[in-house]
Amino acid sequence: MVHAMTDRIEQLVIVGGGTAGWLAACVMAARRPELAVTLVEAPDIPTIGVGEGSWPTLRETLRTIGIAEEDFLRECDGSFKQGSRFDGWTTGEDGDSYLHPFTPPPLASSVRDMIALLAGWREVAPDAPFAVAMTPQAVACARDLAPRQRAMPGFAGALNYGYHLDAGKFANLLKRHATTRLRVRHISDRVAGVIGTPEKIEALDLAQTGRLNGHFFIDCSGSRAIVIGGHMGAGWIDRSDVSLNDSALAVQVPVPTESPIASQTIGTAHEAGWLWDIALPRRRGIGCVYSSKFLADDRAEAILRDYIGAAVPDADLASLSPRKLSFATGYRGQFWKGNCLAVGQSAGFIEPLEASAIVMVELSLKALADNFPATEATLAIHADRFNALFRYRWERIVDFLKLHYVLSRRSEPYWLAQRDPAVVPQRLADQLALWREQPPSAWDFPQVDEVFSAASQQYVLYGMGFPVPEPAGEGATQQALSRLAEVRERSRALAAALPTNRSYIDALTNPPADAAAHGELARS
Amino acid sequence: MTNHAILNTGDHGDLRVHTHADAALGDAAMAALAVPAEFRRLQGEYPILFKRDAESGAFSALALLGFENGENLFLQGDRWDAGYRPMSMAIQPFLIGRSESGEGQGQVHVDLDHPRISTSGEGTRVFDEDGKPTPYLERIAEMLGVLDESYRSSGDFFAALERYELLEPFTLEVPLSDGSKNSLVGFHIVDEAKLRTLDGDALADLHGNGHLFPIFMAMASLSQLSGLIARKDAKQARG
Repeated sequence: MVHAMTDRIEQLVIVGGGTAGWLAACVMAARRPELAVTLVEAPDIPTIGVGEGSWPTLRETLRTIGIAEEDFLRECDGSFKQGSRFDGWTTGEDGDSYLHPFTPPPLASSVRDMIALLAGWREVAPDAPFAVAMTPQAVACARDLAPRQRAMPGFAGALNYGYHLDAGKFANLLKRHATTRLRVRHISDRVAGVIGTPEKIEALDLAQTGRLNGHFFIDCSGSRAIVIGGHMGAGWIDRSDVSLNDSALAVQVPVPTESPIASQTIGTAHEAGWLWDIALPRRRGIGCVYSSKFLADDRAEAILRDYIGAAVPDADLASLSPRKLSFATGYRGQFWKGNCLAVGQSAGFIEPLEASAIVMVELSLKALADNFPATEATLAIHADRFNALFRYRWERIVDFLKLHYVLSRRSEPYWLAQRDPAVVPQRLADQLALWREQPPSAWDFPQVDEVFSAASQQYVLYGMGFPVPEPAGEGATQQALSRLAEVRERSRALAAALPTNRSYIDALTNPPADAAAHGELARS
Repeated sequence: MTNHAILNTGDHGDLRVHTHADAALGDAAMAALAVPAEFRRLQGEYPILFKRDAESGAFSALALLGFENGENLFLQGDRWDAGYRPMSMAIQPFLIGRSESGEGQGQVHVDLDHPRISTSGEGTRVFDEDGKPTPYLERIAEMLGVLDESYRSSGDFFAALERYELLEPFTLEVPLSDGSKNSLVGFHIVDEAKLRTLDGDALADLHGNGHLFPIFMAMASLSQLSGLIARKDAKQARG
């Protein structure tokens, strides 16, 4: 069937700046150069700037849109993120800590292989935490080491990594890149109205500039969701029944220039929620997440200040004024409706326990760029597929975050409420029953680009002391033992070869006298 | 004056060494000292040539890396484009030191003025936090041992080559595709014709002392000359 030229989708309009909007502009312009991309951003709306931890996926995204790693690190005050550490989640006692690193355990090609690997761990190093036995990344994280050396090609690492970043600076970098390198048109104006039906948008009515026509619209307007919610009425599926936290207090704490930079986000449990701690070269982003049903705001602020006092001893506590955020956990009934797709907070929100915000933006854009409708004829087909996939993904995030709570043995009322079987999703409950007999595997997570792989589930499960399945036969195989020995050898080698995050960042921002070591002199 | 020190945990507990390849780290050399123990590994990547020292008259073996002083054609930015680096380069900035008499067990020394010594917190640690050698130092120590042992016994190897007159002067004209020519002079290679005429006793002597194997490896290595010329040509073409 031949379509008239008017059916073709050629004009892409993005509503809203911020990380989601500018990432959308960069990715779509880079991957779909045949589209004319316009981004409309209200001049007076501050960006929320909460998503300050990325997944390893951001490396590929940056490469795709053409931003060099060192430019990104320098301009966004970036540092490396190699995973998350969870302190106090299991019992809340001293020394209660486990790591969820980005580098997976040694490859186990079957459930049986994984059982053998677990048996090997219990046999050879029963006192070593799971993550220490399974990946050299644990050693790097414990010593604040970078996952790569500067001499390695950009985006390559000895260990898998993402980034910690200043979200405001990141949005600015993306904006400059989009408008100067990728020919994205930027309109600074407020959306006064949407023209069209709830099934098809014709144009936006902009307060100053008037009508802006488009064939396809991406709503990155954040929680306001002016297009997908306001105009198209794509409903909201509330998941605050499972995900109990609804509030956060966030603050930025300056740090001395010589202080160590942690290799992972630190999530520390408290009586009615948890605290995040994200280390950038010049500041730490620290926040207290809680359930307002279980904790008053002033108590949350006291918990936050106590944490900062202990974690950043030279912090000037009096000068800090935390910002309160209230949020609803849930996601769109339809992310994609007609010719509009919601990306970012307009699509859904959940507490940042596993930093899923930026990666969901990336996954949405990857799905859209890979499957962009050429004409209006396929819009509905793409929408159905996208909606089914992302409903699945949001549910897997809800499940995985819940896993962190259900394995806890803490006894405060909040923690008991988190573990109430009535608020544990059935799929998660079933999987926990299965995982008593066999470890998490690809059988449990069979989709393309699963948000949380079996490896992630294993790190949380065995990090929190979930029992290891009994091996049916021989226990640890020779192959399993030699893989674990390789991890130990590589841990030693990498502990010696990797610089600290601080040394890396310092060398990147002020090349030292022996910068010749990295080729500058050789090339001059 | 060089600044050599005996490597020890007390003084060098936090020492880091740049291990990547770079001209600024001392890798811009046209040849690297080679020892017979590594001829097998070298011959798959580099031509192995022999050179007589003008003063002492003694021979040594070299892995050829380029055609003019300071030219290392295997060096590409911060990458060494070969699967194996000659040990004499890979061990830098370390070396074996001995007492004046030259006897006894060698010790690992470090050249603290070497550009590979890091002052930036980057580079590879030599000792871990407990003062134990890191895998990197273990590897270095192993190479130093092989290098030292093979270098000290290579006198016998060169004596045997001379005894059977197996070395012949070698001159190479390097024609490049732009019409220019480089010539390589002052080296020796194994005299293949001479080797063919050796009788059973001579071969048994060479074989019995472990010299025959490196002789053949050195001969085989000459097939790498064409690869090296191609690298030179490519470099010339890049300008």
